[in-house]
Amino acid sequence: MAKREKVAVKICVGTACFVQGGADLLLYDEFLDPIVLANCEIEGVSCLGKCKEAGSKEGAPFVQIGDVVHGDMTEKKFCDLVAEAVHA
Amino acid sequence: MLEINNQYNHIRAKVQTEVLKQFFGDTLEQDVDKIPFYIIPKERVPARCCIYKERAMIRYRIMAMLGINIEEDDDEMKSLSEYVKEVLEKDTPPVPILTTISTACSACPPDRYLISDACRGCFARPCLANCPKDCISFTNGKAHIDESRCIRCGKCEGVCPFHAVVHIPVPCEQACPVDAVKKNEEGYVEIDYKKCISCGRCATSCPFGAIVERSGLIPVVKMLKSKEHVTAMIAPAIEGQFPGTLSQIKSALLASGFSSVVEVSQGAETTSVHEAAELGQRKEEKLGYMTTSCCPAYMELVDKHIPFLSEKRSSALSPMAYTALWCKEQNKDTKTVFISPCLAKKVEAARMKSVDGVMTFVELASLFLAKGIDVREMEGSDLGDTSLFEDCREFALSSGVASSVLRRVENPEEVAVLSIDGIDKRMFRSMKIWEKRPPEADLVEVMCCEGGCISGPGTVVKPSVAKRLRGGNNATTPVKSMRTPIVRG
Repeated sequence: MAKREKVAVKICVGTACFVQGGADLLLYDEFLDPIVLANCEIEGVSCLGKCKEAGSKEGAPFVQIGDVVHGDMTEKKFCDLVAEAVHA
Repeated sequence: MLEINNQYNHIRAKVQTEVLKQFFGDTLEQDVDKIPFYIIPKERVPARCCIYKERAMIRYRIMAMLGINIEEDDDEMKSLSEYVKEVLEKDTPPVPILTTISTACSACPPDRYLISDACRGCFARPCLANCPKDCISFTNGKAHIDESRCIRCGKCEGVCPFHAVVHIPVPCEQACPVDAVKKNEEGYVEIDYKKCISCGRCATSCPFGAIVERSGLIPVVKMLKSKEHVTAMIAPAIEGQFPGTLSQIKSALLASGFSSVVEVSQGAETTSVHEAAELGQRKEEKLGYMTTSCCPAYMELVDKHIPFLSEKRSSALSPMAYTALWCKEQNKDTKTVFISPCLAKKVEAARMKSVDGVMTFVELASLFLAKGIDVREMEGSDLGDTSLFEDCREFALSSGVASSVLRRVENPEEVAVLSIDGIDKRMFRSMKIWEKRPPEADLVEVMCCEGGCISGPGTVVKPSVAKRLRGGNNATTPVKSMRTPIVRG
């Protein structure tokens, strides 16, 4: 089996995301499944710009998984989406 | 205490940010009454009974933010705009710092123990055997607690192998270390301010948001707007609360309108030196143990509940006080604003002439959001020479005050230290017996919040996150700093 590329996960650590629940996502080491964790590359990233978009339905905190930016991120949603991306 | 990451805190941050945006945009008086509708739009799925009640709660939230005593000054005929007008004209110190919103209070049923469906009616029946009041009986093969005889000792909960006993507390009553929070005859929350030590535990435990802090934010933002010289005095706990280093936080503060930024760790150094000298003297005179004096909730606790400790606590002023005096010495016209995670500091500040305003980290976060300031994007500012007091940034952590003092004592190995890490009901009882049985220590460090100030009621992030982001440049790469090395056993 060919070695798959790791999924790129970017957690926004801009102030708006950080103070509205994003800081909790930094504990990913504690709540993410170790197998999923081993198959992704998690990075911090400056503001993804989504929060400033007018009329956006989703709010902070934002996380980019692969090429898609997801908002209203929670611990649960984060685990599900990252696992989904890893197993895809 | 509730998790910091919860809906109540999110809504509160939204409200605060919106109020500040309008304040700086000069539209607050005109548009404040629209905020409840903006925050709770009609499409929202309500988490209270209906969106109308949620909007009414937003109104109270805004009143608390304006520093209004909701218990006494709630006039339903008065619009928020009228309140804003009054507050903008005249500053009043928000003391007592807590206020209750009886409409938000869910009138939780009294604290009780219940046997749930998980009870299997087992043969050993440890609940029955261990109940000191003999109030457990078995009917239909299941345990049952006689409420009238139960003394809520919790023994049955601890011994049930099926975890079938549930403890349903009244969160605010349970959180208050000094029994100042009680339900009134109708079952709604009431605070006895003669007993209250302003620690803020009740406010952070109520899941309905019925106990709120009266903010001192408006006087502060008024200073910022009036272009006076305003000095931000940042508590040592600020490191780790925002995604950036101390020098970036300084830049962010300057960008939000403060004229200068001073670390309160500087005053903490003075406190440590003073306490170290006093400790040596007390030891020489064989006066017994000495307690620290920097925690304002502990100071209130001593004044209101444990008077014999007043001669045991150090005569040193708090780091905030020393820092404020220093700031005024440098520039007598500067306005000083203390920024910390603490509610009780507002009480201390209200008594002092040298501190002109107090705000919490949560409020600072809203200020950054309202002004569109991203701490992470800031170019770092020079913090100046911090070598003298750098180690005192530890004041924010439990046992950090004691170690700062020890580093300034002549023979640190001869000093026995006791750290009181958090004052809850039980600790309060233990402290009361110190009169007859003094603690076996020379220096007693007291922190009202478990873990120290980084667990204070006005913090933005969990202590576990804050701790990892503190020190050096950890905060510049938050995600990397959080990574735990894999430990193979």
